Amino acid sequence: MGYVPVGAAFGILATTQGFTALQAIANSATAIAGAGQFIGLSLMQTGASVLTVLVATSIVNLRYVLFGATLSRHLDRTPLIGQAALAFTLTDETFAINIDDHRRGSASAMSMAGVGAISWMGWVFGTALGATASSVIGDPYRFGVAFAMPAMFVALLVAQTENREQVIIAVVAAVLAIGFAVLLPGKWYIVAASVVAAAIGALFYR
Amino acid sequence: MRSAYVWTVIVGMGVANYALRFVPVAMLSRLRLPRPVQRWLSFVPVSVMSALVVGEVLRPDGRWLPPLQNPYLFAALPTGLVYYKWHSFLGTTIAGIIFFLVFRALLG
Repeated sequence: MGYVPVGAAFGILATTQGFTALQAIANSATAIAGAGQFIGLSLMQTGASVLTVLVATSIVNLRYVLFGATLSRHLDRTPLIGQAALAFTLTDETFAINIDDHRRGSASAMSMAGVGAISWMGWVFGTALGATASSVIGDPYRFGVAFAMPAMFVALLVAQTENREQVIIAVVAAVLAIGFAVLLPGKWYIVAASVVAAAIGALFYR
Repeated sequence: MRSAYVWTVIVGMGVANYALRFVPVAMLSRLRLPRPVQRWLSFVPVSVMSALVVGEVLRPDGRWLPPLQNPYLFAALPTGLVYYKWHSFLGTTIAGIIFFLVFRALLG
């Protein structure tokens, strides 16, 4: 599963920024938020308030609302407790796999539960691996760890831009981010720029 | 980092994330999101990532760096290309770190 290496990167970054290994693992096991967790780290590093961190990570994870809404149509006959369990492991990757299974007619609540369990284990195992390995590596800044998070964000950005509309909105968001970064305190420019840029996208591309 | 601060964030993030996932799954089996809201949501991830990259690259550690002396900016460009070509998060992170070390050494 693709989640192990990214989980490991999170484990290393979290522990080098003052998380204990237990905190890194707990964060991965309960949030399972990929990019959201990395953003949380980068905000906490600058001493952002708890509210800032939670609002920013929730905005980043708003895409789950879209995934959940799409999947809910296939879960009409699943009992609420089953829906509750499946929602827990809803991520970019599990969503993609489940929708793909559904197109081929092989999706069921059981198969979705299996996909979810495997991703969760990969993510948590990767985090544990990274969190424990980083105590062996020593001073990570010598090795350029300062760029690990920006590199991950660059990769996620490229992964998100699948068509021309998204490229244009990415540029709009970048320009807005610079403007808001000058005007607003702390990291609020991230929230402001993404809310406004997505609204511009929704307005112009219907 | 203070332990209480980290734990508060962890618990809050867990609760907020779960709500974001579960509420639409449970509520929207019959209800459908209006089209404009769907469109807005579809542009949120790319906007967030772009804003994040700008902040991390142009203003690392909260300080604006002059573009021509900024190893983060120089490293970000080939890093993006590596992901575009090979679609590997791990490979891109490692390549990015190497680019960063090279440019940091070159730019002093």
